[in-house]
Amino acid sequence: MDSSTITLLLNLVYHVLVLSLVALGLGIVFGMLGVMNMAQGEFLTLGAYAMVVAQRMQIAAGWGILLAILVTATLGYLIERWLVRPLQARPLDTLLATWGLSLLVRKGIEAVFGRQYQNITQQIGGSTQIFSVDYPSYRLALMLAIVCGLLMLGLWYKHSTAGTRLKASVANPVLAQAIGIDVKRQACMAFVCGVACTGLAGALLAPLVRVEPLMGMDYLLGSFFVLVVGGLGSLSGLFAGAGIIGSTQVLVSTMLDQTYGYLAVLTLSIGFLWLRPHGLLSNR
Amino acid sequence: MSLPAQPNHKTGLVVQHISGGYGDTLVLRGVSFSLGQGQVLGIVGRNGVGKTSLLRLITGHLPVAGGTVSWQGRRMGKAPAYVNRDLGISYAPQEAVVFDALTVSENLNLRQRNLDACQAFFYSFPLVRQRRNQKSGVLSGGEKKLVSFVRVMAEGADLTVMDEPTEGVQQENIALMAAHVRQRCEQGASFIIAEQNLTFLLSVMHQVLVLDNGETVFQSDAFDREGLEQFLRI
Amino acid sequence: MAYFQTAKQAASLLTLALCLVAVPFVTNDFRAYQLGTYLLYGVVAQGVALVWGRLGFLPLGQALFFGLGAYVAGLLLIHAQDNALLYLLLPLSILVPALLAYLVARLVFAGQYVSGPDFSLITLAFTMLGAQLANQFTGLTGGFNGLANIPQLGDLDRYSSMYFLIVALVLFSTALLSWLYQTPLGTLWLAISQNENRLQFFGFATDKLKAGAFALSAALAGSAGFLYAAQQGLVTPQAIGFQLSAELVIWTAVGGRFGPYGALLGAVGIGLLSSDLREIWVHWEVLVALLFIAVVLYFPGGMAHLLLNAYQFINRRSGTHVPAYAVAPKTPGLRAPPIQSCGGDSGTVHLRFDNVSVQRNEVSILNGLSLAVEHAGVYCLIGPNGAGKTSSFNVLTGRLARTSGDIFLDSQRVTGHRADVMARAGVGRKFQIPSVFNGLSVTDNLRIALWSNRAQARQLLESTTRQWRTDMLDFLENTFTFLADQADKPAGELSQGQRQMLELSMTLLAEPRLLLLDEPCAGLSTAETQQQIEVIVQAVSRLGSTALVIEHDMAAVQRLSNEVFVLHQGQLLANGTLKQMQESPLVQAVYAGGQK
Repeated sequence: MDSSTITLLLNLVYHVLVLSLVALGLGIVFGMLGVMNMAQGEFLTLGAYAMVVAQRMQIAAGWGILLAILVTATLGYLIERWLVRPLQARPLDTLLATWGLSLLVRKGIEAVFGRQYQNITQQIGGSTQIFSVDYPSYRLALMLAIVCGLLMLGLWYKHSTAGTRLKASVANPVLAQAIGIDVKRQACMAFVCGVACTGLAGALLAPLVRVEPLMGMDYLLGSFFVLVVGGLGSLSGLFAGAGIIGSTQVLVSTMLDQTYGYLAVLTLSIGFLWLRPHGLLSNR
Repeated sequence: MSLPAQPNHKTGLVVQHISGGYGDTLVLRGVSFSLGQGQVLGIVGRNGVGKTSLLRLITGHLPVAGGTVSWQGRRMGKAPAYVNRDLGISYAPQEAVVFDALTVSENLNLRQRNLDACQAFFYSFPLVRQRRNQKSGVLSGGEKKLVSFVRVMAEGADLTVMDEPTEGVQQENIALMAAHVRQRCEQGASFIIAEQNLTFLLSVMHQVLVLDNGETVFQSDAFDREGLEQFLRI
Repeated sequence: MAYFQTAKQAASLLTLALCLVAVPFVTNDFRAYQLGTYLLYGVVAQGVALVWGRLGFLPLGQALFFGLGAYVAGLLLIHAQDNALLYLLLPLSILVPALLAYLVARLVFAGQYVSGPDFSLITLAFTMLGAQLANQFTGLTGGFNGLANIPQLGDLDRYSSMYFLIVALVLFSTALLSWLYQTPLGTLWLAISQNENRLQFFGFATDKLKAGAFALSAALAGSAGFLYAAQQGLVTPQAIGFQLSAELVIWTAVGGRFGPYGALLGAVGIGLLSSDLREIWVHWEVLVALLFIAVVLYFPGGMAHLLLNAYQFINRRSGTHVPAYAVAPKTPGLRAPPIQSCGGDSGTVHLRFDNVSVQRNEVSILNGLSLAVEHAGVYCLIGPNGAGKTSSFNVLTGRLARTSGDIFLDSQRVTGHRADVMARAGVGRKFQIPSVFNGLSVTDNLRIALWSNRAQARQLLESTTRQWRTDMLDFLENTFTFLADQADKPAGELSQGQRQMLELSMTLLAEPRLLLLDEPCAGLSTAETQQQIEVIVQAVSRLGSTALVIEHDMAAVQRLSNEVFVLHQGQLLANGTLKQMQESPLVQAVYAGGQK
C-alpha cells in the first residue's frame, strides 16, 4: 500500500474517531435524554476557549482541560435546572431557548475575546512514524485517547451500577421511581456529563482546529448528522453514524473538494430523514 | 358496607376521600380505607374502573386532586414518587413491569446489593434463577410479572402495592405467590393488591374494596366469592 | 365577517403605505435607501413569521433563499446587459428558492408526522453550505468579495426611485400574508401549529401544506433578494449565510412572529438599530441575545403583541370596545357542498382485519387479530387493558406499523396507509383523550371538520367557505348547545367533558363512513354520557355509517349497540350480542378472573 493511501486511511480513522467524540455529547443529551440542545456546539467552543485562557495565563495544558470541564459542567447544570427542566414538555421552546443561549454564548465570547482566530500550541509536537508514514503525533495521541476513553465508557455503561441505573431511568422512568431512583437527578447528571464531554472534546481539539466564536456550529451540525444516520439512544448507533458520515466526508473531500464533502454528508442525511428517519440502529 | 376497624395511625395507611385524575377529569372519586400492619387489601373491579389510578395515587405517580393519604402518621402527596421507597412503600406497576433492556438479575439488584433477599424466591421460582442472565425483554408476559413480584417482595417493604401481579402467570406459581404474601403478612407487612384473579385474592386478603366507575361500590372485611363475582360480570 | 376583517386590514395597510412613502420626503434619500435595505430584510422576516409563528416550525437558514435570489438576480442583471432576453429569466430568482424549499421540506417531513428539530437543523446546514459555495465558486459568485457591479433595474435609480419599488414589494407581501392569514387556509395553518397530528385525521396532508407555506416564504425571500441585488449593486456571501439567518430569527421574534407587521417592525426596528449600535457598543449584541431569550420565554408575541395590548388597553380605558377575537356577524350560512371521499363511494363500509400482528421488542401488541364488519351500525369493542383495542385503531390509521397480516377497506388493501390517506377514504377517528385545536375557537374547530373531505383548494381561499353549514351541524348544535352559545371561546378553555363532546361533533361533521370512537364517554357525567350516546346512535343512523366504539362502561355498551367484539391479548376472543357475551363462560373467565 502506498503512503498516500495509508495517510488517507489514517485521516479517515482520525476523522471518524473525532466525530465520535464530538457527537457523544449530543448523543447523550439528545439521543438519550431527548433534549435538543442547540447550544451543544457552544460547549465545544467554551472548551476550546478554556485552553486559550490557560495558554494566556501560561499554565499547563492539563489545567486548561480541567477548566474546560469545570466551566461546561457548571453551565450545563445551570441550564438543565433553569432552562431545560421547566421546558421539558415543550420541545420547540427548548430548541428556541437553547438556540437563544447559543447566541448569547457566541456573542459573549466575541465580546471578550474578539472575532479573530486563536492559536493554541500543540502539547505533543512533531510527527511519529507509523505504518511507514509520518503522521502528526498529537493526532495519534488523540486517537489513542479517544479509543481508550470510548472503550471505558462503553464498559462502564454496560457493567456499572450507575450505568445500569441511568439506562433504567431513561427507559422506564415510572418503574425507576418505584424502585427509588431519583429520575430527575439522573437526567440532570446525564445532561451535565453530555455537555462536559463536548467541552472536553473542544479542549482536546483546540490545537488542531480553527478556534473562533462561530466554531461550534459545524460541530453541532456534524453531531446531528451522525445521530440522524446512526440512530438515537445507543453507542453502537453513534459509531455507525460516525463511521458513515466520517468516511463519506473524508473520501469525497479527498477525491473532490471540502465543499463537496459537506454536500455529500448533507445529501446523505436528508436521504436518511426521508427514507429511514429512525437511523440505522435506533433504540427509541 | 362496613369499614374495618381503625388501625394504629403510627403504623398503617389511612386514605380519606381521595380523588384524582388526568387533566380536569376525575377518574377516581371519594375512596376511603384504612390498612393496618400485617393486613392485605384487595382492590377488585373490571378494567377501566380506576384500580390502577387508585394505586398510582397512593404511590405518588398521580397527583392527588382531593382527600388525603397518610402513611405511618405522615401526610403524603407533595414529595416526588421516588422518595416512597425509602419511606417503606414498594410498588409493582401493571404495565412495563421490568426493565426490558436489563437482565433479570440487574432488575433485581438495581437498588440492593445482595441477592440474599431473593434466595427464598429463587427456591420457589427456579425459572427466575435460571433466566437471571437473560435480558428481561425476551421473557413472556407472565415471566416478567414473576420477576416483578420477586423484585418487589425482596424489597421487604412495610407496605407493598401490586397492580395485577398474577396476570399471565402460571397456576402453580400463583399459589406459591399467595404463600409468600401470607408469610410476609405474618411478619407484619401490609399489602394492597389490585387483581382480577379472585382465587388468588381470596387466599390472601383481609379486606376488599370494589370499584366501579371510579367509586367504591362495596367495601368490607367479610366477603365471599360469588358476591364478588357479581361485581365483575359484564 | 369579511367586512370587519377587510376594513381593519385595509386601514393598517394604508397606514403602513403612507408611513413608508413619506419617509424620503420627511427625512432624505439616504435614510430611505438605508430603510429600503431593512425593509427587504423585513419581507424575508415576514416569511420566517409565516413558517414559525403561524405553522409552528422554525427555519434557521432563511437567508439561503434571500441570498440565492440575490445571486441569481445579480448574475442575470449583469449578463442581461449583453443579452436582453435574460431579463425574462428574472422570475427564476423567485422560483428557484421556492422550488428548493418545497423539495427539501417534502423530503424532511415525509418520514415523520409532526415537526421536530430535524427541519431546523437541515435549514441551518443548508445556509452554511450556501455560504461555503458562495465563497468557493469565485468565478460565478465573486467569492468572498462578492458579486459586484450589478447594474440598476431598468431606470430605477437605486438611491431614489428604487425605494418605491421596495415599498411596493413590502405592501404586496404584507397584504398577501394578511389576506392569507384570514382565509380558511390560514386557519388550517394555525391548526398545524397547534395539533398537526389531529389535522391529519381530517384528511389534510399536512406535510404538503407545510412545504407549500415554506415555499411561499422562500419565494418572498427570493423576491426580496432580487430587489436587494438591484438596490445594493453588490451581493456577498453575507447575504446567504448563517449570521443573517440568525438575525432574521431574532428580528422576527423580537418584533413579533404572529403577524406580518411584527416581522417588519423587528427587522426595521432592531435591524436598523443594530447596524448603528453594533460598532459603537460592543455589548449591544449580547443585549440583543438576552432580549431574544426573554422574548422566547416570557413575551412570545414580541413587540407587536405588546403594542397591540397597549392599544387595546388605551381603548378600553377610553370606552371604545375592542373585541378580543374577531367576532363574525351571524350570517344565515351557506349549504356546504357534498363530501368527496376517495375510494368506494357512499355505501356500506366493509372492514376486514386479516390476521394482523404487531410485534415491538418481543412484545406482542396484536397477535393475529381477525375481525370483519359488513353492515352499517354501531359495534362495540370491549376487553381488558392491553387487549389491543386502541392498537387496532392505530394500525388501521397508519399510526402503528404492522408486522404481518393485512387490513382491507371495501376490498382494497389499506395496510400501512397514512392517517390522512385513511381519512380521505372516509375513516374518522375520535381519540381517547379529547384532541382538538386548543387555541382556535369552537367555531373554527367545527369549521375545520366541515372542510374535511369537502373543501377543494380554491375554496380554502374563499371567505364564503367559513359560512358553510350542514344538517349534521344543525343537529349537533341543537343537542350540544354550548357549540353555539360558546362559539367564540378557545377550545382549550372548555371543560374536559365539553371537549369530548366537541371532538365527537367534529368527528361526526366530517361524515365519515367508518367511525372509530375511542372511549367517547370517558370523563363525562351520567347525564352527559346519556346525551353522548344518543348523539352517536342518531348520527350513525343518519349517516348510514359504521361505527366501532371502544368502551368500558357496560351500561353504555348496552345502549349503544347490539353487536360486541371482545378482544383479549391482541386477538378476537369472541363476538356476538352483548347477551351472548355475558353468558359466555370464555368471556366471563377473562373478566371475572379466577382460572385464566
